[in-house]
Amino acid sequence: MRKSIERGLIIVLAGMALGTVGNLVSPKGIPFFTPPKQIPKADEFLSLDKAKNFWESGSSVFLDAREPEDYKAGHIGNALNLPAMAFERHFGEVAPILSPESKIVVYCDGTECELSHRLASQLKQTGYTNVHMLFNGMTAWREAGLPTAQGGTP
Amino acid sequence: MKLPHFLRDSPANWILRILVGGAFIVAGVLKIASPDKFAGDISNYRLVPHIFINLVAILLPWVEVIAGLVVLTGPWVRAGAAVILAMTVMFFTAITSALARGLNIECGCFGTVGGKHIGLVNLAIDSALLCLSALLVRRSKD
Repeated sequence: MRKSIERGLIIVLAGMALGTVGNLVSPKGIPFFTPPKQIPKADEFLSLDKAKNFWESGSSVFLDAREPEDYKAGHIGNALNLPAMAFERHFGEVAPILSPESKIVVYCDGTECELSHRLASQLKQTGYTNVHMLFNGMTAWREAGLPTAQGGTP
Repeated sequence: MKLPHFLRDSPANWILRILVGGAFIVAGVLKIASPDKFAGDISNYRLVPHIFINLVAILLPWVEVIAGLVVLTGPWVRAGAAVILAMTVMFFTAITSALARGLNIECGCFGTVGGKHIGLVNLAIDSALLCLSALLVRRSKD
């Protein structure tokens, strides 16, 4: 029994050591300690009315921060999909239609979804300054009876 | 030449070792391939203190792979199975807690196996692995 516990600990420590080295040498490595959450400022949130105005005027680009499957199941009309969890992989697909001055509205779904915060920070780090978040995005939009679409990127 | 005892296992034990070890190797490799995605999955459970989320996302998949390899290849099959048993108990607790809180999140267990969002299928897969690893701990000689 005692021997098994000791061996088990060795297995765990070996895994942790390899994980540490693997993360240091991997191009996909991430910081060992999670950076503090960037709490969005109140003025970064967009009211539903304002988002509706932006959408109707066609003056802004709407980006859906959710996974492609959720986007395909239903999204804000004309919105493009840029999954926050795979930003680097998909950014090239939307980059051609964005300029540094573009007014961008990002959203996900639900009051506790953090994907839009994440996408907004990633866009700001990339150089886009005019980024807004729509709180409770898809749910708020759908409940207001505003235009939605289904399927892949338009 | 006499083979070491971990290679002379019974057919039933070999099946258990392949199922349990193989499952954990696959699960670990999938997570190692996308550490930032796995960190996001851990964060969604809201069980790990924020600052330690990345650390868990970096270390846990490698422990899964090493324990899986040990179970599959030996020696120390019992110890490897015990580590996997402890992890399945931990995952069982996390999944049950997420379901009890009504969280609509991804499991983060085996990519999208068992559905996009966490559910009873994930709990069933974890319970099966928990039982199989417990059986392996009991049946293994070393």
